[in-house]
Amino acid sequence: MDGLEPERAASVDVARDASGAVIVTVRGDLDLSTVGILQDRVAPLLERDPPGLIVDARELRFADSSAIALWVGWSSAAKRFELRNPSPLLRRVIAGMGLAEKLGVGS
Amino acid sequence: MSLSDAARRDTRFAREVAQRFATRSRRRSAASLLWPATTLIIGVLVTAALAVIAQGQYSRNEKRLLRLRVRDAGALIAGSLPGLQTPLASGVELADATNGSVRKFERFATAYVGTGPGRFASLSLWKLSSPQRGPVAVAGLAPKLAQSKSNASAFFATVARRPGLKVMGLLAAPDPRLGFAYATSGLGSGYAVYGENRLPANRRSRLQSSNQFAGLHYAIYLGADQRAEDLLTTDGARAPLPGRSYAVAVPFGNTALTLVMSTQHSLAGSLPQRLPWIIVIGGALLTLVATAVTGVLVRRRRGAEQLAGRLESIASENRKLYAEQRTIAQTLQHALLPDRLPQIPGVETSARYQAGEHGVDIGGDWYDAIDLPDHRLLLVVGDVTGRGLQAASMMARLRYAIQAYANDHDDPATLLTRLSDLIKVADNGQLATILCAMIDVGGREIRVASAGHLPPLLISDGEAEFVTGAVGLPIGVEGDASYASIAVSAPPDATLLAFTDGLVEHRGEHLDDSLERLRRAAVARDLPLPDLLSTLIRELQSDAATDDIAIVALRWTD
Repeated sequence: MDGLEPERAASVDVARDASGAVIVTVRGDLDLSTVGILQDRVAPLLERDPPGLIVDARELRFADSSAIALWVGWSSAAKRFELRNPSPLLRRVIAGMGLAEKLGVGS
Repeated sequence: MSLSDAARRDTRFAREVAQRFATRSRRRSAASLLWPATTLIIGVLVTAALAVIAQGQYSRNEKRLLRLRVRDAGALIAGSLPGLQTPLASGVELADATNGSVRKFERFATAYVGTGPGRFASLSLWKLSSPQRGPVAVAGLAPKLAQSKSNASAFFATVARRPGLKVMGLLAAPDPRLGFAYATSGLGSGYAVYGENRLPANRRSRLQSSNQFAGLHYAIYLGADQRAEDLLTTDGARAPLPGRSYAVAVPFGNTALTLVMSTQHSLAGSLPQRLPWIIVIGGALLTLVATAVTGVLVRRRRGAEQLAGRLESIASENRKLYAEQRTIAQTLQHALLPDRLPQIPGVETSARYQAGEHGVDIGGDWYDAIDLPDHRLLLVVGDVTGRGLQAASMMARLRYAIQAYANDHDDPATLLTRLSDLIKVADNGQLATILCAMIDVGGREIRVASAGHLPPLLISDGEAEFVTGAVGLPIGVEGDASYASIAVSAPPDATLLAFTDGLVEHRGEHLDDSLERLRRAAVARDLPLPDLLSTLIRELQSDAATDDIAIVALRWTD
């Protein structure tokens, strides 16, 4: 139908590592229309103050600034935050926003 | 649009939709009756035709069977008549031979008189010349014929006129009888033998159930006509016989017997008889079921069509509402952007804002150009993450804060540090990337500071380069963040172009490649500033064009 956002999908899987840190695996596209899926899934986990929060971006095709803003918020809220396996494209966008150090992804 | 306007519009819409459906369902209810009615009519016609054909076939077959049975019965009767004639003929010969011996006749006749098959109730010998004197000899009962002299005279006159078997009905109650007379051809002796048989008193005689004609009504008349007074015997049914009937005439002496038979039952069995009704009932049931099924199917189809129509109408209304809302969002967006850019001698400024193709929310992109003392100008372009009212209000806050602080800060880096206290990502998940470029118009110096924003492009003399300095944190990540600025000097006719990521961002493309495409496009043609901005948007915008684009540019003109 005319005038609606094109359908994009993102899916989120949550696991824990040996230390109890939350590992969030994101697949698909993260933009304004899908970032809520990730936020709703992780917010309750973050409230329980896990020892760490790891976002695995290996299968993430695209992330826009709203997703990056979410991660920045998490990096401030969590005891330890790690963005794992960002693609070179994502790495470049994060660096362009001056957030490479903040999100721990040296360019 | 005020609330009452919206309410009025909603009411009008509801009324329009209701009217549209009313017309549509009127038109369709006529159509929906058509198919079940057609099915019903066809079913009734086919059933009726089959029933009529079956009934006709049954009727023809029954007639044929009845005809065969009646002919059988007629042949049986005709076969039994010679048995009747033989004793009479023998009696005449005996009388001729014995010259009318009473004793010999009586002895002869006794054997043929009595009850039982082939016997007469009465046998008598008559002299043809004087029948009025009564019989010469009698065996068995007295002949009823003798009771009326005139009858006897008339009957034996016919007997005398023509030899052979003559039959006489004496059917008056009581004791109805049938009389038979026989005379030889020679008439030399002038004797006739006359026999009488009694008919049942009420002329009723039922057939035994074992009889091959059991189940059939019958009536036997004397003569060719079926007159009530000529009725000899019947099984008890009143004339005319009920049901289908057939008559056959059997020659009987000088007259004939008319046998009429009828049946109320099927001769071919019950199935052929019931077949037309079976067809009618079965056909009616099938027709009703088919009609009902057709009705259900038509209703379902109509329901589906109505649903499709309703969905279409909702979709079209949605499109209208969407377009309206988008217009509202764009209007609001433009209200939050500068009305016009400052007019400063020596430079030309231009800006574009283009909303993304999709979405009805206000975006968070903005640009600004702030006129400052000492022939300076602050160019700003920024992008608040997210969309909607929250993004728009944050954008407005930042924009007005920059306008307020611009006078106090010569260096855009310190301006950004001050802005960094304004919002925190922890509060509402928002970040803003901002690029500030302080332009010293007369001194041809550009000082750029970036809070996580894409670098501006400096174009001059067919070449272009991004002004890339240290990129600080976006506004919102940390309070009191530190920023560094970089200063470059502007060549003559230089153009500075600051933009938001909507202009370059393509999914799946490396940002450096995107920036390079912009750089090439910017130097490809030498265009007036407003045309340059329009061309860049047209050429670089991604196909999806989901993101908003803000561009602000400045060009030295002297």
